[in-house]
Amino acid sequence: MLELKDLYFTVPDNNNGNAGKRNIIDGINFTFEKGKFYAITGPNGSGKTSLAKLIMGINPISQGRIIFEGRDISTLSITDRSKSGIAYSFQQPARFKGITFRDLLSIATGITDEKKLLEIVLRVGICPLSFLDKEIDAKLSGGEIKKIELATTIAANPKLAIYDEPDTGIDLWTIGPMVNLLKKELAEHSTTTLVVSHNRVFLEAADIILIVDKGRLVYTGDLKNSLPLLENLSVCTYHSSCEGEKDAGCLR
Amino acid sequence: MLDALDKKLLKTVADLEDLPKGAYNIRKNGKLMHRQKSANIDIETNADGTGIIVTIKPGTKNESVHIPVILSQAGLYDVVYNSFIIGDHAEVTIIAGCGIHCGTSEPEGHAGIHDFQVGKKARITYVEKHYATGEGRGRRSLNPTTKVFLAEGASAEMELTQIGGVDEANRLNEAILEAGSLLVVTERVLTDGEQNAVSTNNIVLKGAGSRANMISRSVMRGNSKQTFYATMEALNKCFGHIECDAIIMDNGTNETMPSLKAKHPDAELTHEASIGKIASDQLTKLMSLGLTYDQAVNRIIQGFLK
Repeated sequence: MLELKDLYFTVPDNNNGNAGKRNIIDGINFTFEKGKFYAITGPNGSGKTSLAKLIMGINPISQGRIIFEGRDISTLSITDRSKSGIAYSFQQPARFKGITFRDLLSIATGITDEKKLLEIVLRVGICPLSFLDKEIDAKLSGGEIKKIELATTIAANPKLAIYDEPDTGIDLWTIGPMVNLLKKELAEHSTTTLVVSHNRVFLEAADIILIVDKGRLVYTGDLKNSLPLLENLSVCTYHSSCEGEKDAGCLR
Repeated sequence: MLDALDKKLLKTVADLEDLPKGAYNIRKNGKLMHRQKSANIDIETNADGTGIIVTIKPGTKNESVHIPVILSQAGLYDVVYNSFIIGDHAEVTIIAGCGIHCGTSEPEGHAGIHDFQVGKKARITYVEKHYATGEGRGRRSLNPTTKVFLAEGASAEMELTQIGGVDEANRLNEAILEAGSLLVVTERVLTDGEQNAVSTNNIVLKGAGSRANMISRSVMRGNSKQTFYATMEALNKCFGHIECDAIIMDNGTNETMPSLKAKHPDAELTHEASIGKIASDQLTKLMSLGLTYDQAVNRIIQGFLK
């Protein structure tokens, strides 16, 4: 349902001899299948979020193509990608002044009717009904805003849901129910689910693990076979300059 | 009687479809048009005939008074002095506002000087909206002044809004707070084109335990300019906060000068101010929910000025 073809995201970089450019995403090819749960993981700065943003159109692609349900969406705006059925849950959701959860839900679903909005909040389940008139402002805690972000994404009934680190700021007791919620949505609506995460709970829930390192896909497959590589990558984010566990120059 | 234009202006500035229930005083082109008193709310013309005195009996609960002004006479600059005397323990809503319709090239304007004496433990909500419209090119100016005195334990929540179409605005808000009183002022100003608005606010926290919160939301479109001065002066153990946010669109400009003066060692005064364009993460978020760029801008501004 989603094909990434020879995808590049290149930014200017004066410290790089390569004509002053750097590839944040460095030639990714992959096909996502409908109704599957994908977890994208990899070290900090490896390009996970950049890849997710390329799919949503938040980052412009430098080279390559994105095909969504047979249609080339490479040059479509964020708005048009949203209208074609892609939803995006931000790692650091925007905070507003004078905009409530109700407003976001109405924009995402086109529904303004009070009863129907309450039904949606109930169905999604992660936010109490009292959240409906909460302003999405600086007063919300990190956990509250992430729950609202997740609920808004689910409420839009997307064909493809992208969640960037959905567990940031979420308490330990909510992560399990959150995973179950994503699985339930997938089972009931065949929502293709793409989660960027380091959290083992999401990796265990996924059908397919994608490991990104230095802008490239270095592994795709099940969790079991990814473990040796994950172990190697996750131990240290300075693995590229690692000189050994017991070396005094360790940067950790 | 109210004509169609009067009704449109009244709807915009006072949310009135027709003559309101309860007490009201409607002034049109510098003259009294309609007035109604209630058992607890008295409205009289002041001694020199330049405005009204609204007297609210102590203990009055859940009543409202509307005092809109409408202007549609070319060349008129209407100045009005209104006084509000709110009795102890009363709880009332006062809705004021000025709507200008300018149909010619002659200037029109209004200066409303509103003076509030809020009695002990009384609570008022004051809503004031300013709006100008019309196909004429005459300059429309609105220069409102509010002066508030809050007695012990009194509270006032004031919403001051200038919606649009006003070429020149010079706003002045002053308040003195006695012990245990509370003032919350929210000012929202939208300017466009070549419009200019200046807002000056002086709040004196005089009594122990008094609290004040001044919130300003400004949006500058076109080449418009806004200047915001807010001074909070603490003379006692008290709490005061100024929050001023300005969004610049197009080529608008803004100057914001919050000023805090603690003249008592236990005073707590804070301020936060920001000026800038709409944050890109807000636009991206709303576009990811399906709004176009322009729809997202409008939705953010609408919320910001809500």
